[in-house]
Amino acid sequence: MARVELDKLTFAYPGADEAVLEDINLTIENGEAHALLGASGAGKTTLLNLLSGLLVPTSGSISFDGRDVSRQPGRERKVAQVFQFPVLYESLSVEDNLAFPLRKSGMTPDQIEVRVGEIADELEISGIRNRRSTQLSLFEKQLVAVGKALVRPDVSLVLLDEPLTAVEPRVKWQLRQTLKKVQADLDVTMVYVTHDQTEALTFADRVTVLTVDGVLQTGTPEEIYATPQHEFVGHFVGSPGMNFLPNHVVDEAHGDKIGFRPEWVQLSGTGVVEGQVVRTRALSSQEGQPYGITTVATDHGEINVRGTLSAEEGATTGLKVDQYVVFADGWRVA
Amino acid sequence: MSNLRCYSFWVLLGYCAYLVLPLYWLLSMAFSHNADIVGQFEVVPGSPTLENFAEIFSNPVWYEAFGNSLSYVVLNTLISLFVAIPAAYVFSRYRFLGDRQLFFWLLTNRMAPPAVFLLPFFQIYSAMGMFDTPLAVALAHCLFTVPLSVWILEGFFSAVPRELDEMARLDGHSFWHFFTRIFLPINRGAIGVTLFFCFMFSWVELLLARTLSGSEAKPIVVVMTRTVSASGLDWGVLAAAGVLTVLPGILVVWFVRRHLVKGFALGRVS
Amino acid sequence: MSSRPYDNRAWLGVLPVVLIVAFSAVIPLMTVVNYSVQDILDFNSRFFVGFEWYRETLNDPRFVDAFLRQIGFSATVLALEIPLGIFVAKGLPKNSRMTPFLLVFLAVPLLIPWNVVGTIWQIFARADIGLLGVAINAMGIDYNYTSEPMHAWLTLVAMDIWHWTSLVALLSFAGLTSIPEPYYQAAELDGANRWQVLRFVELPRLKGVLTIAVLLRLMDSFMIYTEPFVLTGGGPGNTTTFLSQYLATMAVGQFDLGPAAAFSVIYFLFILLFCWLFYTSVVARDE
Repeated sequence: MARVELDKLTFAYPGADEAVLEDINLTIENGEAHALLGASGAGKTTLLNLLSGLLVPTSGSISFDGRDVSRQPGRERKVAQVFQFPVLYESLSVEDNLAFPLRKSGMTPDQIEVRVGEIADELEISGIRNRRSTQLSLFEKQLVAVGKALVRPDVSLVLLDEPLTAVEPRVKWQLRQTLKKVQADLDVTMVYVTHDQTEALTFADRVTVLTVDGVLQTGTPEEIYATPQHEFVGHFVGSPGMNFLPNHVVDEAHGDKIGFRPEWVQLSGTGVVEGQVVRTRALSSQEGQPYGITTVATDHGEINVRGTLSAEEGATTGLKVDQYVVFADGWRVA
Repeated sequence: MSNLRCYSFWVLLGYCAYLVLPLYWLLSMAFSHNADIVGQFEVVPGSPTLENFAEIFSNPVWYEAFGNSLSYVVLNTLISLFVAIPAAYVFSRYRFLGDRQLFFWLLTNRMAPPAVFLLPFFQIYSAMGMFDTPLAVALAHCLFTVPLSVWILEGFFSAVPRELDEMARLDGHSFWHFFTRIFLPINRGAIGVTLFFCFMFSWVELLLARTLSGSEAKPIVVVMTRTVSASGLDWGVLAAAGVLTVLPGILVVWFVRRHLVKGFALGRVS
Repeated sequence: MSSRPYDNRAWLGVLPVVLIVAFSAVIPLMTVVNYSVQDILDFNSRFFVGFEWYRETLNDPRFVDAFLRQIGFSATVLALEIPLGIFVAKGLPKNSRMTPFLLVFLAVPLLIPWNVVGTIWQIFARADIGLLGVAINAMGIDYNYTSEPMHAWLTLVAMDIWHWTSLVALLSFAGLTSIPEPYYQAAELDGANRWQVLRFVELPRLKGVLTIAVLLRLMDSFMIYTEPFVLTGGGPGNTTTFLSQYLATMAVGQFDLGPAAAFSVIYFLFILLFCWLFYTSVVARDE
């Protein structure tokens, strides 16, 4: 387990003019489940490869528990990784796969046996211990891959690179729950890379939003959701994302733009702005009333409203904003 | 890791040197006078000459033999592709009575030693009046080029999603139009690789080609062996002819180089 | 695979292949089987002899010798070419501007007519005028493949490696390039050493292409005819006479149709048997 610190971390491919990552500062606490959230091309994979030791930073440093590891290979950093698709030793049994990373660690065969048993129990894969890895479903394979990453008792950091990608859709949720459970039980530091904001918010203790311009915000899922530091975070996180209006609409003196979540706004007879209902989408029903998203077209673009679906498509309605955050030049000011 | 890569790199380098040396020696002899070859040992030809090549290009026995070889190789390649493409398509798209057995039976023909077929071939083609024609050799070579073509093409065709066929049908294309205008063009890499293998195995074969040709359709490989015995070993001309027989192969492999690795990977085992 | 529709009209598509293979394989094979049970003095007087020729062939010490030589040769070249081919493939850069040139270069020996391969090695290994022969003699070894059986044998093996290792290397390279990079990253993080990477990551993933490579080399080395015919002519003595050459001499040289046919059938069955044994052992270990 380790506390991971990135200090002014910069990486450019040799010969390239522009850096993929520039001046990244980030701290991942010991035993934390940390999500790296970003669209594709934001440099998530590069950051992951820097953490795993596959790439060496151009400048800046990575330290584990205060020890600079920037130039150490991943094996010496005691990093483990789970990939987008299950990476296993195909000719070996589940048990031998789990034991493989321990063979070089100086543990006795008895100790290895015990540790493999613990991990198999934790992941509830004891029943398939003796199967060949080619005989498993994708879900089971990825569980074994997770087990392989967690098996070293001295593992400092576990990296997960979009680990739900290859798994069948109906068990994605189940795998995410299992990951969350073992992370809490074993108290390991985990970095979870994803482009899916739901995955990031439901899995992580803290989330870092990364774009081509660098780190936009780091915070708990609640902070990221309620107080996005940048317009992009507000827009990217949430389903649907944040609504934006010019600040003069609500007579806001600061900034140039206000942002509000779909549940911070209501349909009402009169309001700060008016528009026409163009779409409604039911998500569930509460006390017999359909509940969901109403999309209203205004002079300033479409606004999504979460709440009871009371307006018909085509109807004219006002919008009342209960709560908002203020942005100036993209960044939040209030 | 880097250690092993490095180690393998030296293996590769050593192997390349091993490949080059005999080829270098062939080239060196092709540009030497026969008297020099037999007379003294030289690592680099002392007085390089083009007379061996001049001999080949001026002697009809040599250049006609080249034409004969090319004609049966081209014939064989055309026949193989023509019959193998529909077969590979149906193997990749349908199940039918005895499909697995048929596929395996085709492959067993690849295992038949040509020497086994020498005599019956000779008799059959003589009886049909085809002995000493390029067509006889081309048909005989189908023994191993057809199973191989079906095998390779089936691998490639199976990798093309069946939804494509369905989509074309729904879009109102006739099967013939779909097959010739859509399916074959997207598989041109596969056809290139198959062409390479047909060419390769037909061009390099000697035993059947020699047995099925008399004086008219004599292929280049046969002229080479006969010249050895007749003219008291003119090493220079022999080496020059050898160099010329290597060239068509290099040309073909250069054209399909992009697809070569994929072609090797896709061959299906079962 | 199982989702392919069942339709017997598909036979129309394979019909041309069946016809052409029937013409170029089935009819000749039936002719061979037919001859193998008859004594043919000339084509007008022949009589049925049953399995006489088979008995005779299997008891013929020259056949047994050629057969054992053949097994020794095939086993030797397979044992050398398969590992060498894998290492050559591992040394090939995966994505370099040199890669296409190296691939084309490796393919060159495969595209040389087989008798030319024999000729190249004949002039390369000659003790008087060949680069290899002269070089070995210069090192103080009295090398002459035309008179020393052992030298002839080694030269044949060296030639076969030169001729065919590229096939194994190209197949292995195709297999290696299909291994996703994360497999290597994971192995490195797990602390696998280079032999473990080969044993647990690469070889399992190369199984398909290596099966093809072994099968092709097994079949083709067992049928080898042209190269030794040109290089050594089967000599010195009969020390490099393999099955195909023995058969060709019998059928075309001496016109012993019956025995040659029986020989052919036994020969073909042995190749089928070896390939089948190898293939089922690979598949059986998979289950």
